[in-house]
Amino acid sequence: MIELYHIWKQYQKAQWALSDITFRVDKGDFCFITGPSGSGKTTLLKILYRQIFPTEGQIVIDNRNILKISDQKIYQLRRHMGIVFQDFRLVFHKKVFENVAIVLQVLGVPRKEIRRRVFNSLRMVNLHNKMWEYPAHLSYGEQQRVAIARAVVNSPKIILADEPTGNLDTELAFEIMSLFKDINKKGATVLICTHDRELIRNFGQKILFLYKGKLLRKETL
Amino acid sequence: MRNFFSITIICLTFLTVGVFLALANNLEHVAEQISNNMAAVFFLDKDTSEEQLKAVEEELERSPLVLETTFVSAEQAVDKFREKFPELQAIIENIKINPFPPSIETTFKEKSITFREASGLITRIKNMPGVEDVQFNQEWVDRVNSFSRLAKAVGFFLGGILVLASFFIISNVIKLNVFARKDEIEILRLVGATNTFIRVPFLLEGITLGVIGGLVSLFLLFLLINSIPIYLGSRLGVLNELINFRYLSFSQSITIVAEGGIIGFLGSLTSLTRFLKT
Repeated sequence: MIELYHIWKQYQKAQWALSDITFRVDKGDFCFITGPSGSGKTTLLKILYRQIFPTEGQIVIDNRNILKISDQKIYQLRRHMGIVFQDFRLVFHKKVFENVAIVLQVLGVPRKEIRRRVFNSLRMVNLHNKMWEYPAHLSYGEQQRVAIARAVVNSPKIILADEPTGNLDTELAFEIMSLFKDINKKGATVLICTHDRELIRNFGQKILFLYKGKLLRKETL
Repeated sequence: MRNFFSITIICLTFLTVGVFLALANNLEHVAEQISNNMAAVFFLDKDTSEEQLKAVEEELERSPLVLETTFVSAEQAVDKFREKFPELQAIIENIKINPFPPSIETTFKEKSITFREASGLITRIKNMPGVEDVQFNQEWVDRVNSFSRLAKAVGFFLGGILVLASFFIISNVIKLNVFARKDEIEILRLVGATNTFIRVPFLLEGITLGVIGGLVSLFLLFLLINSIPIYLGSRLGVLNELINFRYLSFSQSITIVAEGGIIGFLGSLTSLTRFLKT
């Protein structure tokens, strides 16, 4: 499903954010990428949804080399991905409902269907009663759950999540992980960056350890 | 505020173009009115004898260019003047003598006869005894037409510069709008929106700004044209009756609004390109 071949990424000279990363995530995997801050987890995810290009290496997702996709066609890749960003990336002048609905609007889903799916998605993260509020009126944890609802609303084939439970209490973090697990059971491939060992211990299936941009080891539990 | 600024600039641009176009339209109309009465008037000496008058008339009627000739005596000329300009009657009463010379009015067969074509005949008649002067209104038509062309040229030159200016201003206003929403655009890109999906609202915004600017300029021009006779009417005097202030034609108005829309469209198109990468 996701194959990385000798990925190198350099932001500044003589400083490698990623060095020779090669791994493979199969369809239906539930995979964690872990490592301390600055180990290159976010860089790796950004490369996977092609916000940035690697300096060297190739990436194949769903049998397609994503580095060969033109800027105009990149939406085709992203429409199959649900992404939870570390900084949530919510549109603050739009209500919670509209933030989640964006994903379905770009696909041209009918309005009635959008309403139904957005409601279901927000109910999953227990935010359906705050649907008509602005993100600025929500707590940090609630904003994070809106970002998660947006990532899953389209039932994507791949979910990429960057510290999706970083600001949530343990109970809610477990609920969110269970949610990802449910989506995974329905066939989605899930790739989560986190340094929360508790979560990894409870939900981990395939774990990649990054340290200073290098892939230290791969574990399959 | 930003949008108000761009509408104002587009409006001023098209108002300038519109003023010159309206001026050219009016001058063209005047030229047309004059050319509809294409004629040469030969003014005669007051002491012209019957023979001299007959000779001139015969010479004119012999010419293949001439349709008909009419002799207007000095008395008939005064009556005509009184009839046409009743408000100036007092002047005639005051001078007490008749200032109008007798004349022969000549109409031509061809409506669009030029001075060059008629010059042989006019010079010949002018040199005949008893003929004092000649007035050929084609010269006026030519002059008014060249003024009309000049007004159009100035209008398009100024308009061209202002169109360029408003293009850059719209482009920058949309750029600011795009910049203010760059996070939203980035999110849209990341959730799989096509470039067209992102572009359309901005393009519509640009077109709307342009069209509104064009429409407002037409409205202001309408007010301006209607206010000229109110404010200048009394000063123009006789001229006011001769010049009928005309608005832009329907197709010119449509063109101005459409150009506004096109400028808005192109302005926003150029400003979006750099935000739609990665």
